[in-house]
Amino acid sequence: MSLLETPPPGSSAQPSKRPDFPETPHKAVRLPGGILGILSSTDHKVLGMLYLGLALIGAVFGGAFAGAIRAQLTSHDLEVLSPEFYNAMVTMHASVMIFVVIIPALAGFGNYLVPIMIGARDMAFPRLNAFSFWLLIPAGGLMAASFFVQGGAAAAGWTAYPPLSLKEYSGGPGVDMWILAVHLAGLSSITGAINFIVTVMNMRAPGMSLMKMPLFVWTWLVNAWLILIGTPVLSGAVTMVLLDRGFGTGFFKPALGGDPVLYQHLFWFYSHPAVYIMVLPAFGLISHALAAFSRKRIFGYTGMVWAVCAIGVLGFLVWGHHMFTAGISPELRLWFSFMTMVIAVPTGVKIWSWLATIWGGTIRFTVSMKFALAFISLFVIGGISGVWLANVPIDLQVHDSYFVVAHFHYVLVGGAVTGLFAGTYFYFPKMSGRFLSEKIGNAVFWLFILGMNLTFLPMHLVGVQGMARRIWQYREEFAAINHLISFGYLGMAASGALFIYSIIDALRKPKTCGNDPWGINDVQKSLVWDIPSPPPPYNFDKIPVLKGTASTGG
Amino acid sequence: MKLNWKAGAISALGVLAAAAAYAGAGGDADSPITNLFNEPVTPIAHTVRSYWIFVALITGVFLILPQIILFWCIAKFKDAPGRKPATFHENIKLEIFWTVIPILVLVVMAVPSYPIIKKIENPPPADMRIEIIGRQFLWEYRYPEFGDVRISDEPLVIPVDKTVVADCTSADVLHAWWVPAFGVKIDTVPGRLTQIWFNVEEQGWYKGQCAELCGSLHSQMYIDVRVVSQEEFEEWIIDRGGTIPAGNSLAQNS
Repeated sequence: MSLLETPPPGSSAQPSKRPDFPETPHKAVRLPGGILGILSSTDHKVLGMLYLGLALIGAVFGGAFAGAIRAQLTSHDLEVLSPEFYNAMVTMHASVMIFVVIIPALAGFGNYLVPIMIGARDMAFPRLNAFSFWLLIPAGGLMAASFFVQGGAAAAGWTAYPPLSLKEYSGGPGVDMWILAVHLAGLSSITGAINFIVTVMNMRAPGMSLMKMPLFVWTWLVNAWLILIGTPVLSGAVTMVLLDRGFGTGFFKPALGGDPVLYQHLFWFYSHPAVYIMVLPAFGLISHALAAFSRKRIFGYTGMVWAVCAIGVLGFLVWGHHMFTAGISPELRLWFSFMTMVIAVPTGVKIWSWLATIWGGTIRFTVSMKFALAFISLFVIGGISGVWLANVPIDLQVHDSYFVVAHFHYVLVGGAVTGLFAGTYFYFPKMSGRFLSEKIGNAVFWLFILGMNLTFLPMHLVGVQGMARRIWQYREEFAAINHLISFGYLGMAASGALFIYSIIDALRKPKTCGNDPWGINDVQKSLVWDIPSPPPPYNFDKIPVLKGTASTGG
Repeated sequence: MKLNWKAGAISALGVLAAAAAYAGAGGDADSPITNLFNEPVTPIAHTVRSYWIFVALITGVFLILPQIILFWCIAKFKDAPGRKPATFHENIKLEIFWTVIPILVLVVMAVPSYPIIKKIENPPPADMRIEIIGRQFLWEYRYPEFGDVRISDEPLVIPVDKTVVADCTSADVLHAWWVPAFGVKIDTVPGRLTQIWFNVEEQGWYKGQCAELCGSLHSQMYIDVRVVSQEEFEEWIIDRGGTIPAGNSLAQNS
């Protein structure tokens, strides 16, 4: 069925509002093909896939770094890596996974899907969009190159807390290169965020009011605001470290009147919302997968939208919960503690609404749906351990222990990465015109879920028992559990390898998918499944005009 | 597909059970740190433990309930020929219910944490004061009231059943002093003084670890605390060239 309605002649909703925009642009514009076409493209779909490709390459490196960490930690007294290199691995695993994998992957889905979902032909600023993507190449390149400079890559943790990240304690240029990489990735995020906000606010098809936008668009709109407000603060904070390192300032040097705790405030003002930056679009992805494969509409759309907005606002009021042990005042700690717990409420609204979405549906257990269901289960675990950590007395006990490592991996791997898997399996047919193999996908799913839980569940236990995080060797008592954790890593690594094979395998097959390969659009009523797979350049021959009920589905 | 879910779930449970058994078998039962959850030995640790159990019981409901509903849905609402999906997509009463109830629960949970924070923050009258200084990559302890005895890179020695207040700072980068059985952790920040206190109820050997990344040998900044009787402590101080002040509350008590 078509969502498009032929507007009556002379209707104000006609695309004639944009008189110099050709009705069938892909016939009017000749695009270069081949490699040159990809490199010079400003098409949001091409850029979206470039983002996703970069994220996949980044994941191979980030995953390999995790493998090195787990190899070192398999037993308590190994010396697989030198302690300096181990710290560099810890730092770069986090930096790559955050700045080159999860954020770009979500930006990739955002780039690809947001214009289509709102009925636009491209982003508002296509060249700026290409600029945002290509900035990530030197950012990743700087991180990679820093391994080969004197002193090696940055080893002060991805948090880069001074004084450890200052010249006196991290001598080589590794930290400087890391800071410049963060600047570039930050600039990429900021320009991308501006692009998303302008696109969503101005380029929605006639008939698509804000409260009819698909949830994925909503999550990206809120996300873009978080990036726009938070990222400049991070850039400022790391710039101050750069100045302290190379230009003799003393922002964070106690001897010069500076304060290391100030850096923590600035850093977490960005880096706590960054957690939501990494998980909100994943919320959007799984919302659509859950609704589609239950053959229902999303439950409580309005509540879901407000929950996303609430998470966005509250996310900026909680940064202090990373600093409960730093000696800040009890009243301030109580404030940050309570605000952090309050975030559980809108997050809970989303969990209950997802459960209500699948309730009473006719569930098809595709790989995408399995990942989406697993997301709910795993994210609840990460959320509850988050509520524990929000309580100051408990946090004082397990702060900076493996309990925290377990918590944020349940949120970021169980949440963001599982959501990305669900999104990939769901939208791959739209993007490429081909299905990913469900058979291989089942193996990917079970290996990932088993490996993921085997890796991160026991970390709660060693954390409570007293194993601090970011340590190169540890007391013998923790060896048995760490052995298991390293074993779990192998499951995740195998799953990742199979996943990449599955993508290559699928891309070698002919394109067979029609507009609506999953057969879901009679219920979902989404623009995404109303155009060919893959969509033509500029997506729509005519700017769609939406009927009343469209189109909260995705 | 049915077989698939079942087989997967069973193997998942099997692997996790094996994992738990394996993990439980390891470790040396004599050292305090390996007690599954570090037996608390200070007033703070006891308070934190009971508060933790309280929080775990409350949040446990919200941990288990969604999982039960999720698996119920997976089992119950499979696609099958002839089955039609429900069409409801909102219910204001339900949505208000699951927004308001968690807020009330959070208030009930959060309010008792304030007195605990105050208790941790405000030590009772000190029996003795010590200084803890983090340094790459060892801990330095000072006893200013006992002839300024200074030790570094060896276990902290303190008497049992005395309120020990520690002023903490760092000589270089951030460190964090953490002994799980004491229920305390505090960052040592260069240029700042932070404070913790503990009153250990049982003699013994307690283990901890630096908990803030501080450079290449961060992992080697182990913390060991020997909690001894008053007599042993005084002997040890004198052995280290210190003095026992006559008017000291420690000496009076003993």
